[in-house]
Amino acid sequence: MTLSVSSRYLPGEFSALTTMAVILALASVPLLAAMLLDSRQIDGDSIWLKPLKFHAALAIYLVTLAFFARYLPAGLTDGRGWRAYQTIVLGCIAAEVIWIGAAAALGTTSHFNVSSPVWAAVYPLMGLAAVTLTSMSLAMGIAIWRNPATGLAPALQLSIALGLILTFALTVITAGYMSNTTGHYVGTPLTGAKLPVLGWSTEVGELRAPHFLATHALHGVPLVGWLATLILPGTWAIPTVWLAALAYAALVGLAFARSLAGLPLI
Amino acid sequence: MTPDDLFQLANPLALLGWIILAASPLSPRWAELIAGVAIPLVMAVGYTALILVHWSDATGGYGSLPDVMALFTSPAIALAGWVHYLAFDLFVGAWITRTARAEGIAHLFVLPCLVLTFLFGPVGFLSFFILRTALAKRSIA
Repeated sequence: MTLSVSSRYLPGEFSALTTMAVILALASVPLLAAMLLDSRQIDGDSIWLKPLKFHAALAIYLVTLAFFARYLPAGLTDGRGWRAYQTIVLGCIAAEVIWIGAAAALGTTSHFNVSSPVWAAVYPLMGLAAVTLTSMSLAMGIAIWRNPATGLAPALQLSIALGLILTFALTVITAGYMSNTTGHYVGTPLTGAKLPVLGWSTEVGELRAPHFLATHALHGVPLVGWLATLILPGTWAIPTVWLAALAYAALVGLAFARSLAGLPLI
Repeated sequence: MTPDDLFQLANPLALLGWIILAASPLSPRWAELIAGVAIPLVMAVGYTALILVHWSDATGGYGSLPDVMALFTSPAIALAGWVHYLAFDLFVGAWITRTARAEGIAHLFVLPCLVLTFLFGPVGFLSFFILRTALAKRSIA
């Protein structure tokens, strides 16, 4: 039958990371249907918007890691240690989306929710899971940095490694700080005005903005590296990548400082 | 959308599936794909959404008959239960159609089983097994 054939094909054709991304994307279909049926709101948006955002964000993260995995040293991903680590990371991702989806189904919040002993106990565990799943970008960044045979231009290789490492470092700082506060706003919104799609407040400090920029370092820095290797002569490309990585970290720092000062990013 | 709106959508969708199964000798592959996979999947998405949205507010449970009856006092949960019937009955109908085809049972025998499954789920399932056993015995003898 059609179904059994396609599910037999999935794991063989794709890596475990891509398979998880496909699962997250497909699982957002019932979440979208729930959004259509549900009038409950949190902070002015449908209660299902947050699970949908996390499914999308984690799917993009996984597809990106799966793409960069081709530049890992040969044989690394076949090793028992890496596979065990990957299983833990995927387990953490599953735990996060189940926690966030369950909170929506129960009509409550996931992050910052300490309203009962159970929610208060789960929240720090999910923080640990978040750090664990983000650590895969650090592990891949270091492994790609050290790989002598990526087949990439040195500047592009450097940009991928730096982007991955920055994603971990900057996310742990920005998201780690945010998770230890009582909410993602710095200040109290009066009108509730916010940016479309992203949903960041345009009135008060918004800690999700630096978290977003921090986590997308693994896209931003390699993009500069790719353009630099295309346009610039070889001797210029590597310093440009270093400069871009520094500039990216500075940008995140500025956005973080602005949010902490209670000012909106835009 | 209210539970009533969804009910008005779910019934014609199920009916379409049953008509396709009844006419399945015309195109067994497509009938199987639409009535046996696509329509049950669409209903499964709807059911999942209803449960995600309404289960936490529902009273009752699975533990006793009064608990189950209490569940169905919520229009959204009653609708979810109805969609559950529609989806699984259709899935069983598609299984009957496929099994009969594989075992060479004439479609004329299958039609009454489909009607019974459509109206009274397990009665049609039971009928098909009785029919299957009877026809198998005859071919051995």
